[in-house]
Amino acid sequence: MMTNLFSVFDPTSSVLMLPLNWMSTFLGMMFLPMLYWAMPSRWSLLWTLITSTLHKEFKTLLGSSHFGTTLMFVSLFSLIVFNNFLGLLPYVFTSTSHLAMTLALALPLWVAFMMFGWINHTQHMFAHLVPQGTPGALMPFMVLIETISNVIRPGTLAVRLAANMIAGHLLLTLLGSTGPSLSATLISMLIIGQILLLILEAAVAVIQSYVFAVLSTLYASEVT
Amino acid sequence: MLSRLALRSVQEARPFLVAVRPTSTTAVNKATERDEVNFPRRARPVEPGKVRMGFLPEEWFQFFYSKTGVTGPYMFGVGLTTFLCSKEIYVMEHEFYTGLSIFVMAVYAIKKLGPGIANYLDKEIEDIEGSWVKYRQESVEGLKQAVEDEKKAQWEAEGQKILFDAKRENVALQLEAAYRERLATVHSEVKKRLDYQLETANVKTRIEQKHMVNWIVNNVKASITPAQEAAALKQCFADLKGLAPQSA
Repeated sequence: MMTNLFSVFDPTSSVLMLPLNWMSTFLGMMFLPMLYWAMPSRWSLLWTLITSTLHKEFKTLLGSSHFGTTLMFVSLFSLIVFNNFLGLLPYVFTSTSHLAMTLALALPLWVAFMMFGWINHTQHMFAHLVPQGTPGALMPFMVLIETISNVIRPGTLAVRLAANMIAGHLLLTLLGSTGPSLSATLISMLIIGQILLLILEAAVAVIQSYVFAVLSTLYASEVT
Repeated sequence: MLSRLALRSVQEARPFLVAVRPTSTTAVNKATERDEVNFPRRARPVEPGKVRMGFLPEEWFQFFYSKTGVTGPYMFGVGLTTFLCSKEIYVMEHEFYTGLSIFVMAVYAIKKLGPGIANYLDKEIEDIEGSWVKYRQESVEGLKQAVEDEKKAQWEAEGQKILFDAKRENVALQLEAAYRERLATVHSEVKKRLDYQLETANVKTRIEQKHMVNWIVNNVKASITPAQEAAALKQCFADLKGLAPQSA
């Protein structure tokens, strides 16, 4: 029963009123291919192709670093893409629509990068505060602006993801909640509208997870 | 899907359970070969499991076939959904319509893009499997070729034996020739020395003979008295007269 429009984002389940809905975060693990044979199956091959493409992309962004640096970002991408995509299915809780979840992903990354960068490569970090080719008079302002943009990075990462997810779901819920009271012809129009929205939402789900992963890769590459 | 998993896990738990039980009461730990007849190796399934309507496993329909026939599971499905919807146990609210849209989208996408993606992935899998098989086959081919080459090398080595015999013969011939040459040299040298001895002996004899003849002649000449000389001369004259032609 919908108490309000936002109750679809409520993590409280009906079992003892415990917030068990957060378990949907691990639902993506059910979809990871399990490999027993040396030959890949269709799904495992598709997954391997996707992750290897991502790995190549992130490797270019990170520069030639040590082996395994892209691992974290590829797994970050897969976590977010599964959560976003499965959240579109009915009755599946979208954990990435909560700031608690997205901040929990963005903040530790950003704090880790900042701490590593400022402690180990202090001059490098200071140099990054002034972009290349700024006129001399603008430099103080640029430093201020760059500092502010640096500081709000975890906020932007988290809020971008959460807001996109919330927006999509809200629209779908709004449209769907008019369903029970519609006539047959209007229901077919509703279905068409929802299909279009779902196509958009699926694209947004994948794109937002990609953006999150790429941006955190970029922030990491800035520091090293 | 879970029924398939359960079936498979039972099938595989059985050999493990049997293997855990010791086959002998002694403390000997024998590593026996796996019995492939009773516990066959698990084969890799190439095709995905058969499903009806996209997600219901075929095994469920087979399971119910003996009791309820062909339409049994469908009737069960229809009846259950009708019951749930009519009794409002399952409420058709906003999630339902989202689910409906997703269902329509999914069916369309699977029907349209499914075979294409499946074919592409199958081709990729075939390429990978092909490369493994090809590597194995090429290794086998390479090893067979190596065996052939080895055999040929062995045959060539056999041929070397003939060469050895020929060389040995050659050497023997050379030795023989050298021996004969030396024999001839020895012969000629010895002959030379013997010839020398012969020559010297001959010369000596000749000289002795000559000397002896000269001595005898000289002695005879010396011993001829003048009376003998005159008698001889007279005889010669008489002989000549006798021989002279009877001319008038």
